Amino acid sequence: MSATPIIEVDSVSMRFGGLVAVSDVSLTVDGGSITAVIGPNGAGKTTLFNAITGVYDPSAGRVLIAGRETIVPLDARAWRSIFLYGIASAFLAAVFLNVEEIWLSAVTENYVYLKPFPWLEGVGDAGALVIAHGGWAALVGGVVGAAGRWAIWSRTRRTPEIVAESGVARTFQNIRLFPELSLAENVMVGMDRRMHAGFFASLFRLPNAALERQKAREEATRLIEFVGLGSSVDVRARNLPYGHQRRLEIARALASRPAVVLLDEPAAGMNPTETVELMELIRRIQGTGTTVVLIEHHMRVVMGISEKIAVLDHGEKIAQGTPTQIRNDPKCIEAYLGKEELG
Amino acid sequence: MGTTSRATYKPAGLLSRGQCLLFGALLLIPCIELLFDLGISAPTRFVLGFAIVGIGLNVVVGFTGLLHLGIAAFMAIGAYAFAILTCTIYPFQLGFWPGLFAALCIGALAGAFLGAPTLRLRGDYLAIVTLGFGEIVQDLLKNLEPITKGTQGINPLPAPWFFGLTFASDTPKSWYFLYLAILILCTILVRNLEHSRVGRQWFAVREDELAARCMAIRPDKVKLTALAVGAGLAALGGALLASLISSTGEPGNYDFQISILALCIVIVGGIGSMTGVIVGALVMVGMNSILLPILGQKLQQAGIGTTTSVYLAPDNYKYLLFGLALVLMMRFRPKGIVAAREEDH
Amino acid sequence: MFDWFDSDVLLQQLLLGLSNGMIIALIALGYTMVYGIIELINFAHGDLFMLGSFLALTLVGAAMNCGLVDPALMGESSHWWLLGTLVVVCGIFCGGLNLCIDHFAYKPLRRASKLSQLVAAIGVSFIIVNLGLFWGGLPMEVLGGGGAAAAPKDFPHLVSDVNLLGEESFVVMTWNDVVIFVVTIPLMIGLTLFVKFTKLGMAMRATAQHATAARLMGVDVNKVIAATFAIGGFLGGAASVLYANYNSTVSFQMGFRAGMDAFTAAVLGGIGSLPGAMLGGLLIGLVRAMSDQYVGSEWTNVVVFSLLVLILIFRPTGLLGLKQREKV
Repeated sequence: MSATPIIEVDSVSMRFGGLVAVSDVSLTVDGGSITAVIGPNGAGKTTLFNAITGVYDPSAGRVLIAGRETIVPLDARAWRSIFLYGIASAFLAAVFLNVEEIWLSAVTENYVYLKPFPWLEGVGDAGALVIAHGGWAALVGGVVGAAGRWAIWSRTRRTPEIVAESGVARTFQNIRLFPELSLAENVMVGMDRRMHAGFFASLFRLPNAALERQKAREEATRLIEFVGLGSSVDVRARNLPYGHQRRLEIARALASRPAVVLLDEPAAGMNPTETVELMELIRRIQGTGTTVVLIEHHMRVVMGISEKIAVLDHGEKIAQGTPTQIRNDPKCIEAYLGKEELG
Repeated sequence: MGTTSRATYKPAGLLSRGQCLLFGALLLIPCIELLFDLGISAPTRFVLGFAIVGIGLNVVVGFTGLLHLGIAAFMAIGAYAFAILTCTIYPFQLGFWPGLFAALCIGALAGAFLGAPTLRLRGDYLAIVTLGFGEIVQDLLKNLEPITKGTQGINPLPAPWFFGLTFASDTPKSWYFLYLAILILCTILVRNLEHSRVGRQWFAVREDELAARCMAIRPDKVKLTALAVGAGLAALGGALLASLISSTGEPGNYDFQISILALCIVIVGGIGSMTGVIVGALVMVGMNSILLPILGQKLQQAGIGTTTSVYLAPDNYKYLLFGLALVLMMRFRPKGIVAAREEDH
Repeated sequence: MFDWFDSDVLLQQLLLGLSNGMIIALIALGYTMVYGIIELINFAHGDLFMLGSFLALTLVGAAMNCGLVDPALMGESSHWWLLGTLVVVCGIFCGGLNLCIDHFAYKPLRRASKLSQLVAAIGVSFIIVNLGLFWGGLPMEVLGGGGAAAAPKDFPHLVSDVNLLGEESFVVMTWNDVVIFVVTIPLMIGLTLFVKFTKLGMAMRATAQHATAARLMGVDVNKVIAATFAIGGFLGGAASVLYANYNSTVSFQMGFRAGMDAFTAAVLGGIGSLPGAMLGGLLIGLVRAMSDQYVGSEWTNVVVFSLLVLILIFRPTGLLGLKQREKV
């Protein structure tokens, strides 16, 4: 299969204080494939997932999704936002620091007893006063506002929501559902990326919002059936048994119609029957054209479904290849079974 | 485990069953008073005003999971905006309904302005920022004396009117019905939000912010909407309460104690449940504005309550009661009197 | 150039700011320690501080009644022994009370959501405020005879009011200033050494880093939390005596304001960081003093709030705080 790469991890390192959790790992995931990341506990697999999905910012290296770096560029949009915040806070500062004078000239002096208030003149006078006296306040306020916006912007250039926006969905090793929401609602949160209903449409229950909700619910029901949890869409997620929670998490991830879905130990805690069903499910996900990356300990799952395997140990990638290659790789055997005693 | 199959699914109605019952009961109060004069529909109007504030705060605390400790500031903003735009000593004199609408919008804007720079912060920092905001709004209202009349408060404020009906202090029943209608309208609209994409985003952020972010939900936008809705409704409630007493009262009236009263309304009633919030308003405001003053009067009449002893004035137990309500509810019934989401459909 | 700029005024405000700042820092330590360990804003801490100052005032009154000190000499001669005793007694009182609060109000909620814990803390704070109100209504001469419970009470100067810089000096510095530094600096140094070098201090730092890991390593987390509350309370109690003595007034509502300032200081310095709380307290004290003088005291709260918002925007971890990551 000569597919284009969907995820390119380019020499990513993650350091926490002195601890190096992931060290210089590069990894390519082909579009439409099933790739597994394996390794002993503490090898840095979940950390790598976190770095890919934007939960952590890599200490070094970069991650490309569909050939693009998922980082908010310092483009016209960013500048516009900084500019608008600057203007708004300049205006606020200028008004606030002169508010008593503005009140006097715009309101008190324009008011003639028993006549309606001349709004236009009032606003005009207020504007004139702000322009005449608000210079310094506006300058300082504007600089602070723009700088503040810039500071916030630069802290949030690569966040989970931005990565998710580019078509990456994930599940979590220790399941993170929305426990008080129903199954359908959990999945509908996943669909949020594709929904359009705005605030006022929701507030007044306008027909388009109601229709969208209805359709989303139907699709959610289908997805819940797809992962094998039919018929109980209105049960609260926290009431589900553990294995079902894992599947619901997968349904929620799929709901955003991602290009690639990252599954963090999907088979953990599942019995053999459930595991077989899970493998079947993952194949069906691949069948819909979605790329699958998974972290897994069940070798049966890994060897059974993945087309490519990457092996991590102590934060470094020690091998990559097809299941057959990995099975015969001495380094992998050593990582899993320990070094053969000599002599 | 309540299981509903797909066939029986209906979209949420305008009001839940619990809400219908509750509003029905509230509608009955003045009707009963036609027969027996209990004199409670007049003070119950305050409950209705606070219930609207509570519904607003519930959007922030109950739906979105953000601790807001300065909701009184938005009540003050609403009351003062309403007062300045309607009071006859100011030039604008917009009248009751435009003034009310403007108060709502100004409150929502103020909420958004407070939220915009601070919403990306960790949850507890937001509690402190809202708390501080609650304090400085009082300071601002006091300090900007030429505009706000300082500590005097603004009065008189217009009473509502409605298609030829005018309201005055001697017609508390029609006034009561009007406020109840506004409360029902607010409940329906917020319920629409609750059962829409907007509400789902609020819940997702409350339940697990990181998981929500990994589903491409922008928590800052979601929280900003919640904060603006909460502030807008609090401002509306503040304006309604001010109209009721025909004065904004002094800025110091909108202090931390009022913010906590509103928080008690949400928590005692049932965090995240609008039915609960209205019940909470009945309990807390009923205690605060009806029971304690009556008890004080009775004690005074019986000659027990002297003005000199701090221990015999029921009013002096307010802090204790609020505090105990919060501590005990958290300890023994964290979901409140009416638990959320058991009353949904 | 600026006619309002007078070096004497500036010096006086600096001194005032530093003195109040040291007190704020001492309260802030109580907030930051508790937050560092269980991520709870101990809302009741400021009110605990208020209760401490009520105890101090009551004890001063008792000492007067027993004839141990002469009310006429208050502010003239120094009663070092009384001040020292009060610092220790009020410290122990507040520490013990904080311990009880944790045990009865917070401990049962340890596994509940952070929101519930914070709400419970606010509830405790309100209960204590009411206790303060009732305490103020006790029929004692220093408390105003029980007539006006809610009124602020005068707190006599326990040490001499004589200006140490000489009679002619415009800047006034008395033993009341000095005593603040004499008490707070050793307490802060002691706390730092304690946390750095003792076994319990090490356990505290470990718990703050990762409570579960600390527990697995054999740290008794409950003991650590209790110790944190006790120490934080002790510092608050000590601060309450200094505050009452320095500002000469005690009121049942003062805990709220002091708590706000102290928590702002803790956030400013970086919550969870001990040196951060000290630095933040000093800064808040100085900013308040400067703003009182040069902006107008009615705007001081606005200035402090703006400062808080700016810090949170530009440096959300505070001046000395470290970035925290969410565990996934």
